[in-house]
Amino acid sequence: MNPMFVVMMKELVDLARDRRTVLISLLMGPILIVGLVVGMGAVMQKKMTTQMEKTLEVPLVGAERAPNLVAFLAEHNIEATEPPEDAETAIAQQDADVILRISPNYAEDWRAGKPALVEILHDSTRDDSRIPVARVSSVLRGYAQQVGALRLLSRGVDPGVGMPLIPAPVDLATPMSRVGQALAFLPYFLIMSAFLGGAYLVIDVTAGERERQSLEPLLATPASRRAIMSGKILAACVFGVMSLVLMLAAFKAAFWLAPAGVKVDVSLLAMAKLLLILLPTVLFGTCLLTVISASVKSVKEAQSYMSLLFLLPMLPTFFLLISPVKNELWMLAVPFLSQNQMIMMVLRGETLTMLDWSLYTAVGVAVSAALWWIAARMYHREHLAVSG
Amino acid sequence: MIEANGLSKAFKTRTGTVQAVSDVGFSARDGEITGLLGPNGAGKTTTLRMLYTLMSPDRGSVRVDGIDAARDPDAARRRLGVLPDARGVYKRLTARENIAYFGRLHGMSDADIRERTRALSQALEMDDILDRQTEGFSQGQRTKTAIARAVVHDPRNVILDEPTNGLDVMTTRAMRGFLRQLREEGRCVIFSSHIMQEVAALCDRIVVIAKGTVVAQGTPDELRTLTGEENLEDAFVRVIGSEEGLYA
Repeated sequence: MNPMFVVMMKELVDLARDRRTVLISLLMGPILIVGLVVGMGAVMQKKMTTQMEKTLEVPLVGAERAPNLVAFLAEHNIEATEPPEDAETAIAQQDADVILRISPNYAEDWRAGKPALVEILHDSTRDDSRIPVARVSSVLRGYAQQVGALRLLSRGVDPGVGMPLIPAPVDLATPMSRVGQALAFLPYFLIMSAFLGGAYLVIDVTAGERERQSLEPLLATPASRRAIMSGKILAACVFGVMSLVLMLAAFKAAFWLAPAGVKVDVSLLAMAKLLLILLPTVLFGTCLLTVISASVKSVKEAQSYMSLLFLLPMLPTFFLLISPVKNELWMLAVPFLSQNQMIMMVLRGETLTMLDWSLYTAVGVAVSAALWWIAARMYHREHLAVSG
Repeated sequence: MIEANGLSKAFKTRTGTVQAVSDVGFSARDGEITGLLGPNGAGKTTTLRMLYTLMSPDRGSVRVDGIDAARDPDAARRRLGVLPDARGVYKRLTARENIAYFGRLHGMSDADIRERTRALSQALEMDDILDRQTEGFSQGQRTKTAIARAVVHDPRNVILDEPTNGLDVMTTRAMRGFLRQLREEGRCVIFSSHIMQEVAALCDRIVVIAKGTVVAQGTPDELRTLTGEENLEDAFVRVIGSEEGLYA
């Protein structure tokens, strides 16, 4: 048998004996993802339905100045409530999502046929206020249009004259893309699981083996250092893929359990595509960790890189949050950004072209090969085997 | 047969360069036990590491059965059985699995490994621990496992770094018996020790190393004659110039 496979088999047997570690590193992620998707899905859906359909209570400053408006709002399921003393503070302190303020001159302006002011106070950075504000604005717009039309009619003018244009937004978001937007954190989970799924094993088989001083006898065998290293990388990849498959199974189960309405493409084909997208990531993560583990003095030092590595896949997500850009081909050549884009495209049910796939895979494999080469160089350094 | 010629090795440390070994040369013949004797920190381990190609010498050469270790390290390692200073037994594997792992890395068949493990287990008296995971093994049990693992491929040359270090009296005796058996089988055995009595009891030839250089070498008789001391212990003190490291 090739020394590479001998080393791989030994590392997998060795790892399997450490049952508790294996179970924790294999099952934690999947359990977490099921909990997150089911839990967040339920919360999201509840919020949507209650905010859309429930009677909306809106504090109304100066309700007595506009009884007809209050009645119109009530007809449209918006109930005016007692206003707080200071409307601005109430918004700032999140006591109310939205407050309506009818200007003191409302009655005069109304009678004079001039535009009367109704302020909609809200904080646009707060997500919770989005739906109430939209509801209130649309009802107010409806009221304004209705009264305006009546006024024109009473003067013998066709109301259509005052409306040269009807803006009619047509939302082309598919249900899948809508949910995809709400679940922007999911790619991060999958990328992380692929990238660092085998981290424990990689650190243990290189930095750990060195710390336990078992690397020296191993390097005194005729097996080449490159073969030994490749066997270790291979073992970590096998473990990483196992952890990834479990993660994807959990992913599928999560959306099967999630309340109706929270649906993304979790067909077997989509899962296969995700696996294919994440395979180069497993290799990339394993090679990178091998380079790190071979260059440090101890397991502790290797682990101190972990927080940085956890952050790495998040960087593109942060970047996209601050400056959302449209999908372009070059993104598929940027590690982590590419995984993010590819996974979102699969989850949104979009088609990936042959060019997308080849560029993505080529870059992933090339980066991994470079890291593998660096790791092999590290393994040939003399003091690798000699700890302390 | 292992020949070392003018081996030198320096390490860079924070405080400067340390010349660990300079111009060490000796040859260890087949069917003989050659002892590397010297105080702690004399350069024994570094010398051995160069012999089994873990380190490459700054100057000098190593030949294993005539093979230049620098030119063909894989072939040299194939002819060597090595017990390093760090035993490095895998604690989640059983003793048998530890031995089999190295057998496979040497390209042995499963049948050969099984047969060889049986023979070694008998010679090292480790039948009772063979199928236990090595976690919790005593120092002696670990050393036995590591030695069996080191010679599983039936090498012509065996290098052992302080093989009796930390062993109790009974295990030390068993270990000495095993080393003699290796010699009777016609192998070339090199071991290092900082304990004079140990070397005196076992070795056909002694290479005394102090401060990175060979200060004397020869048979025990030659060493006695060389120094004019009746007693090997006094001879040892005379050649290294101090009593440092003499008693374990």
